[in-house]
Amino acid sequence: MTTATRTRRTITSIGSRTLETVAAVAELGSVAAQTLAGAVFGYWRGKRPAGGIARQMYFVGNRSLLFVLVTLGFVGMVMVYQTCLLTTKVVDGRNQVGAQWIRLLVLDVGPSLTAMMLATRVGAGIAAEIGSMKVTEQLDALRMSGVTPVRYLIVPRFLACVFMTVVLSMFGIAASWAAGGLTGYYSFQINPRIFFDVSMVEPAHVVVGLIKAATFGAAIPIVSGFCGLRARGSSEGVGAATTSAVIGSSFAVIVLDLVISFVAMTAFGAG
Amino acid sequence: MLNATAQGLAIELVGVGKRFGSRTVLGGVDLRIARGARLGVIGPATGGKSVLLKIIAGLYRPEAGLVRVAGRIGMLFQNCALFDFLSVADNVAFPLVQEGGVPAAEIEPRVAARLRAVGLAGSERKLPSELSGGMKKRVGLARATVATPDVVLYDEPTAGLDPVTTAKIYGLLRADHDARGSTAVVVSSDVDAVAAFADTIAFVDGGGVRWIGPAAGLRDADDARVRDFARGTP
Repeated sequence: MTTATRTRRTITSIGSRTLETVAAVAELGSVAAQTLAGAVFGYWRGKRPAGGIARQMYFVGNRSLLFVLVTLGFVGMVMVYQTCLLTTKVVDGRNQVGAQWIRLLVLDVGPSLTAMMLATRVGAGIAAEIGSMKVTEQLDALRMSGVTPVRYLIVPRFLACVFMTVVLSMFGIAASWAAGGLTGYYSFQINPRIFFDVSMVEPAHVVVGLIKAATFGAAIPIVSGFCGLRARGSSEGVGAATTSAVIGSSFAVIVLDLVISFVAMTAFGAG
Repeated sequence: MLNATAQGLAIELVGVGKRFGSRTVLGGVDLRIARGARLGVIGPATGGKSVLLKIIAGLYRPEAGLVRVAGRIGMLFQNCALFDFLSVADNVAFPLVQEGGVPAAEIEPRVAARLRAVGLAGSERKLPSELSGGMKKRVGLARATVATPDVVLYDEPTAGLDPVTTAKIYGLLRADHDARGSTAVVVSSDVDAVAAFADTIAFVDGGGVRWIGPAAGLRDADDARVRDFARGTP
């Protein structure tokens, strides 16, 4: 193979992948726009699956509650333990740990960690379900009945996920704070009255935390649904779609966290 | 896709082309199917039969050409495509519920009538996972025809079924089309069964309709490749 041929093939390959990426981004944008439009205007009109949102809320919320509580509880214990260890080595700042931890939880760690947990559990579920419907022609069957798959499948998951991510974030924050308080009390003898101090939390922190939770909750079903809709072939394609959904949703949460933090810091000084 | 055809035609395809990436699956297909006709589509695997059917159904958009279909379309999918999360009755009722126009009180009797017609009375509350392959096909058939479509498309209606169930399925198709007079397009690898059902056969290969003629004359077609395919000659 000559150098010219190799160069031509490399350029062709780069061009082809660039076009595929642009097409995928455009498709993701289209799914997001259809979902938002469906949630605001379309879902409440005409026929929709009976109990669709309630079923999804149960799947996203109730079925994830224990997972979120345990994970954030352990994170709270580890974080408080490590922070207390560090603060006692330099100057004894243990009394500040509880107040700073709840501030950090409300503003960032609570919503983002909850969303990361949901991205793995719920995102994978959404992609697998929609992906298997795609490869078994069920999405085509929906279209034959005049039903838009995004409106029928993604919009109820979107609505449920936005609401339940906010609720689960609150539970997660409570679990993490409580577990941290217990760790502080039993390992470092921090008085619970001092640890459970919310004076560092301002209303802007709560608002930013809520916005983050709702935004992450919106991103997970959109990204996962998009991955499911792009599933190809058979079970292998569904597996690939599920993997992409977990990676894509987690990545979206991290990027959105950064963007919202930056905007909040710039606008309200509460990033 | 335009929802109007020349008089007497149920389906009209003019110069239809479809590509997936760099692969041309269909190139300039012309096909005219009269109202009430039964067309069987046969041909080697990856010849573009199912793609042709999905273009007629409006599920694939062709890159070139024109597709005209007169009236409503129903479709039986190769894998039945029953919704896993709905019962048999809800699957059959789905087109009526979603398309609207049918009073709620009429839906249940119509679903029950369709399920009786395909021999599945009493299976209303079952889930698709509880059904055999033949039962799934019959539920798919009931769903495809419950909204009384003018054109019904069947993608491999008997794939993976035993000869007895195959005969039953084609018996149901025949009875249904005799009763309604709707137009049928059947894509199938079972040449004998589809030739017995259809009045016209189209042989699709190499991205186009290579041969079209009466089902009775399939085995004596003037094209050797079609003749060999119909006779199962390697």
